[in-house]
Amino acid sequence: MSNRVVGQSVPKIDAATKVRGQRKFPQDFNMKGQLYAKVVWSEYPHARVLKIDVSPAEALPGVVAILTSKDVPVNEYGINIVDQPVLVGEGEKVRWLGDRIAIVIGESEKIAQEARQLVRVEYEPLPVVSDPREAMKPGAPLIHEERGDSNILKHVKIRKGDIEKGFAEADVVIEKYYLTPHVEHAYMQPEAGVGYIDEKGRVTVIAAAQWSHDDLHQISHMLDLPLDQVREIVPAIGGAFGGREDMYIQHLLALCAYCVRRPVKMVFDREESIRNTGKRHPYYMKYRTGATRDGKLTAVEIELISDAGGYASTSIPVLNNAASFAAGPYVVPHAKVDAYTVYTNNAVTMAMRGFGSTQPAFAYEMQMNKLAEALGVDPVELRMKNLLEDGSIALTGNPMPKGVGIKETLRQAALGAGWREEGDQWIKPDLGTPSAPYRRRGIGVACGYKNVGYSFGFDDKSKVIVELALDESGEVARALVKLGASDQGMGAHTALAQIAAEALGIDYEKVRVALVDTSVVPNGGSCSASRHVYMSGNAIIRACQEAVRKRQEALRTGERRVSVEYEYHGRSVRPTTPYDDENGMCDPHISYGYTSQIALVEVDVETGQTEVLKFLAAQDVGKAINPEMVKGQAGGGVHMGLGYALTEEFIQKEGLVKTRRFSEYHIPTVADMPREFIPFIVEVPDPTGPFGAKGVGEMTTLPTAPAIISAIHDAVGVWIDNLPATAEKVWWKMREKAGMA
Amino acid sequence: MPTLKMILNGQEVFVDVEAGDLLADVLRDKLGLIGTKISCGEGECGACAVLVDGRAVDSCLYPALKAQGREVTTIEGLGQDNRLDPIQQAFIDKTAPQCGYCIPGMVISAKALLDENPHPTRQEIEEGISGNLCRCTGYYQIIEAIELAAERLAEKGGPK
Repeated sequence: MSNRVVGQSVPKIDAATKVRGQRKFPQDFNMKGQLYAKVVWSEYPHARVLKIDVSPAEALPGVVAILTSKDVPVNEYGINIVDQPVLVGEGEKVRWLGDRIAIVIGESEKIAQEARQLVRVEYEPLPVVSDPREAMKPGAPLIHEERGDSNILKHVKIRKGDIEKGFAEADVVIEKYYLTPHVEHAYMQPEAGVGYIDEKGRVTVIAAAQWSHDDLHQISHMLDLPLDQVREIVPAIGGAFGGREDMYIQHLLALCAYCVRRPVKMVFDREESIRNTGKRHPYYMKYRTGATRDGKLTAVEIELISDAGGYASTSIPVLNNAASFAAGPYVVPHAKVDAYTVYTNNAVTMAMRGFGSTQPAFAYEMQMNKLAEALGVDPVELRMKNLLEDGSIALTGNPMPKGVGIKETLRQAALGAGWREEGDQWIKPDLGTPSAPYRRRGIGVACGYKNVGYSFGFDDKSKVIVELALDESGEVARALVKLGASDQGMGAHTALAQIAAEALGIDYEKVRVALVDTSVVPNGGSCSASRHVYMSGNAIIRACQEAVRKRQEALRTGERRVSVEYEYHGRSVRPTTPYDDENGMCDPHISYGYTSQIALVEVDVETGQTEVLKFLAAQDVGKAINPEMVKGQAGGGVHMGLGYALTEEFIQKEGLVKTRRFSEYHIPTVADMPREFIPFIVEVPDPTGPFGAKGVGEMTTLPTAPAIISAIHDAVGVWIDNLPATAEKVWWKMREKAGMA
Repeated sequence: MPTLKMILNGQEVFVDVEAGDLLADVLRDKLGLIGTKISCGEGECGACAVLVDGRAVDSCLYPALKAQGREVTTIEGLGQDNRLDPIQQAFIDKTAPQCGYCIPGMVISAKALLDENPHPTRQEIEEGISGNLCRCTGYYQIIEAIELAAERLAEKGGPK
């Protein structure tokens, strides 16, 4: 196959309408006669609802309906475990601030806003559990009494080799404790949408969503309606990063439309979006890592505790992922991992870029850099001795499939940063003179890897329909790709259109990707796990190959239309398996993406402020379908990783939220970004990927924080083991080190 | 109800507003100009930026009546005769939009910058968009797009 389109940085399929401001996002939809809805949120992180009095609100002119738990046909939902009430009724419990008591629907937004202040709710406050380490102890107040006598949702165990033997072989052992905070997705487009009854009587929702077909299952359960009586339309999505994998507004819009039979619009403001939706899990991580004098890893012992918040969401799959990547992209012969996820009354935690691979990446890379220091070995060199290769045995006992590009990413990043390679030795560059006498320079290295597609035996699949319209001469005039693959902004539709054009041998401009409307497109699976290029790309190639064959038939019969449906299953190329209950051995993932990053920083010793001068990011994507989009993923991943490292912390005190707006929760501005950013695209093909492609979206965030934090240590000699490394924290650590604190 | 009269994207418009109405809401809800985005609603992110008499303002904080008699330009007012403004074209060419929700505000900020300073340094570009948050891109391709637009405009003999 020629590479006419794949590998080219063609303009994104939606770029022109986005720069004109014409692209419609959920808040841009309005319908004739629409009403407006507002949520009455819980005021307590843990309490029993004694009484709900809606009468003062009902009395307000213009209020159309106030929905409470009694109005929900089946008052429960949940993406992984059905443990969430849609609305919390009298006698029931609220378990975090994102729980909802009622939905107020009025003739205008103002009326709905005013009326929700008038709903009176009486609570009986209950003991708040805000630290998962406390919550997992026997006797801790239970968050979900109905789910047994412990707050522990899941314990994953991995036992590989002989841990005692491994530590006996070690000459150096590093033991440390790490903590990563709650993180807000902070997509720029707050939750919004319209719910209505369509012309066929279906309960229909227009909203941003990462997996519309899964939302449908949850909505149909909630409304006790058959699947064909519910419908979801996903227009332009203003970012997601995992945060729209669960429903935060979709089901509420469906419920409103179902109850009042009129179009209902709802828009969250920024504070609601931050206060009342899911977050990245905080992880409390204990690491003990051993290595021989010549730098070979011998053993690692790990405890991970994750804070699930009030409801399970995807905390268990996130934990499964975290555990499988806990040792990093290294060969470690002996390992013991105990990983727990635990209910608390904090914010619900959920998918976010990396899906559990991000938190341990901070810990295992900090361990590697501490080991390098303890051994007196260059950090690049230490990694090169231990990194995975094709066929290496990973933490869960599985051989790594072909296409392990991690060493190549590190080589390119290190050479780009000025390292010299001399035989097996790597020599760190001279960092130059700091820009001021009160500033110190440092450099830090980190690696990471993550799965592509759904794991642990899940039947991950993508179904696609490819339709060709042939012109008079039988040439393909247009191709339409129909699949339920949300494009949350990263360019999934562009990449998939490129793959289709390539597979059909036609111009990119002739390919359209249908709007995600569950009444039209088949289930493409979730827009997460960096999976669409791989999973849906594989589906599209096969559908297009069949379409090309069918076109030959059409040429004989004079038919002008060709339509092919194809469902691709990940297990057709690589079946995965769940954890063994006893030792955790399994073949967890379908495919992987790899990344290495290097940060050059200056730290102001008078204030503790860190500035990242230069940042190198190398990602092995197998094959860059669209190189500029890959660079965009690198830039965005590093943005999120830099926030993780230096500025971002969603703060709660006893379950109450202290960071409710962008001036309190600091995502990096342009001024916070590295002055110089150098992305490297590495292409070590995965033979099972479309044109060799893997995934890229999530991997680019993994090594950013440990690279920056290790660079801070290189500059001023302090280790910041709990993120973020704010100026205050660095300053205090420096004082402590100088014996002044 | 007071009537707001303004020159909106080159056309004189009259619209009835209430005293407390904000420009962003009037543009979006009363005039149907959905290109102006609301993200934080309190002047912290720049998604709602529009030009008032050539200066970029956060329309989510800007009282609509303050625009009385002024020239207001939204993202829909850029470019001519269905042709894109060079800044918009450069954003496409540099793959700057990802989700695109911040992009109208970014383009407006870039427009205000280049109108005033046609040959900005990289530092000046960063300052020009320092009030605009983006969660997707890391800003690099947005900066490159503004650099490219400045180059192209210089070849054509300046902006406007």
